[in-house]
Amino acid sequence: MSAGARGLPSPDLSTRVGPLRLQNPILTASGTFGYGLEFAERADLHRLGGLVTKGLSLEPLAGNPPVRIAETRGGMLNSIGLQNIGVDRFLSEVLPGLKDLPPKVIVNLFGYAQDEYVRLAERVEPYEGVAAVELNVSCPNVSKGGIEFGHDPEILSRLVRRVRSATGKPIVVKLSPNVTSPQALAGAAKEGGADILSAVNTFVGMAIDTATRRPILSTIRGGLSGPAIKPLALRIVFDVAREVDLPVIGIGGVETVDDVLEFLLAGASAVQVGTALFRDPRTAERLVDGLRERLRAEGIPSVDSLIGAAARPE
Amino acid sequence: MAAVDSRGEVLDVQPLPLPYFLLRVRVAAMEAAEPGQFVMVAGANRPEPYLRRAFSVYDQEAASDGSLVISLLGKVIGRGTEALAACVPGERIPVLGPLGTGFHSVAAGISGSGGSESGRAALVAGGIGSAGLGLLAQALERSGRPFDFFYGGRGAEDLVEAETFRRLSERSGGRLVKTTEDGSAGERGLITTALEAEVRTGAGYTTVCTCGPHGLMAAVAGIAAAGGVAGEAATETPMGCGYGACLGCAVTLKNGGYALCCRQGPVFRLDEVAW
Repeated sequence: MSAGARGLPSPDLSTRVGPLRLQNPILTASGTFGYGLEFAERADLHRLGGLVTKGLSLEPLAGNPPVRIAETRGGMLNSIGLQNIGVDRFLSEVLPGLKDLPPKVIVNLFGYAQDEYVRLAERVEPYEGVAAVELNVSCPNVSKGGIEFGHDPEILSRLVRRVRSATGKPIVVKLSPNVTSPQALAGAAKEGGADILSAVNTFVGMAIDTATRRPILSTIRGGLSGPAIKPLALRIVFDVAREVDLPVIGIGGVETVDDVLEFLLAGASAVQVGTALFRDPRTAERLVDGLRERLRAEGIPSVDSLIGAAARPE
Repeated sequence: MAAVDSRGEVLDVQPLPLPYFLLRVRVAAMEAAEPGQFVMVAGANRPEPYLRRAFSVYDQEAASDGSLVISLLGKVIGRGTEALAACVPGERIPVLGPLGTGFHSVAAGISGSGGSESGRAALVAGGIGSAGLGLLAQALERSGRPFDFFYGGRGAEDLVEAETFRRLSERSGGRLVKTTEDGSAGERGLITTALEAEVRTGAGYTTVCTCGPHGLMAAVAGIAAAGGVAGEAATETPMGCGYGACLGCAVTLKNGGYALCCRQGPVFRLDEVAW
């Protein structure tokens, strides 16, 4: 271990998330970092722990009509509608540019039917550059599909089991916060064979234009993200990590080093940064530096020692 | 061409008749913007509003130290623009840019590579939309291409940069046409009515470029199509990031698809947008 500034040892930022070994616990969240390469000129991709792609479907999707976003206090609503280039174009055009970078590439998959998830998993299976698949079973912005898989434990369990049989890659299940008991869905994902949970997707919300007296978003409802949801997401990560024996990636309003620490202490093994990237494209790498500095300053040797500390008895 | 994300130094906020303001920012390593391109900016160290705001580069000047001084013409309409109008000289604010696709067909005409893009141009601005046409008017004037500048607003206070556009258009060999809905400056009425009259009476425009409220640009597109004139519009939508990551700024095209205002736009051909 090398000696850092002020003679203190450089902390170990690496973290194990189930079968995944990451160089640090900072990932970028699906739908907030494009496919990765869009950021190459604005952010240092090399320094991230991992990146999660925009949700990919079998066929390209055009997405929802405008208006797709509405800013709210402490965050934003979005209703993009899973616009994406399709899994095949991603694998042939984008993945080659990402696969040799240090961050692990996690491919977010989205289908309208169980079969589609299975076919997507089969499609990415041969690609070594794909470190894991994240199942989007909780997108609030499509009229059918996605969300129903994430709201019923039996359906979710069956879906994960089918994907399990199609891939040897680690399976991440992204949980919806828009349910009574995310823990129950987390348990169902584990039963189906998931390796990792990511929590949480956006919260369903809406905004109204007082001048026109109409909902701002074309789909009326959208997903709320940003600092506004952090305490809500943190609570879910805490409950899920305590009750379900699977590693958790925390998501929801992560923007500062304290946010990262809170999620780790709540039981997350890593975090995904999302909406904060829109405000500042360098947020993720800034957090990597900030986390290292904080651990060094406080004499904390590794990320590992923090994970779940808030759930342990005093 | 790479957009650069950096901290710009606020030089001043020039007082214009309320609610307008002109913010000048020195950015150390930013490439000059093309006409129609924009930057994402926010007030200094403010937690709210959460997202940056998109601003056309209204004017720019390369300084001798290699930095670029950009001018952003704004109108206070909400929390984001309030924060920018409240900037103090010396403050450092985030500036990401230049972003997007500008007035490319017109630019091609100026550089001589697009043979059909010569002749008289009409620039049509609605109120603060004039911010999106500042660099274009300068480029036309520099290239010696004559243009008429149509400037419309609710009242005289909305034609905040009228003198600048009068000077540029007259130097190019064209003129400034003003209208206001309340009749406090220029003809009473809509600027699109004035444009239509000119097009009908054979002003001989070969290009129409516009920036303003959606209804105005839609009307300009209709007038241009009826008069057989090609043109472009600098569109505006709510933006999350400004650089293509959030996919939030969809513009609906006539072919039924969507384009991102921040990447394929903000400038689109008048005949490709589903107005």
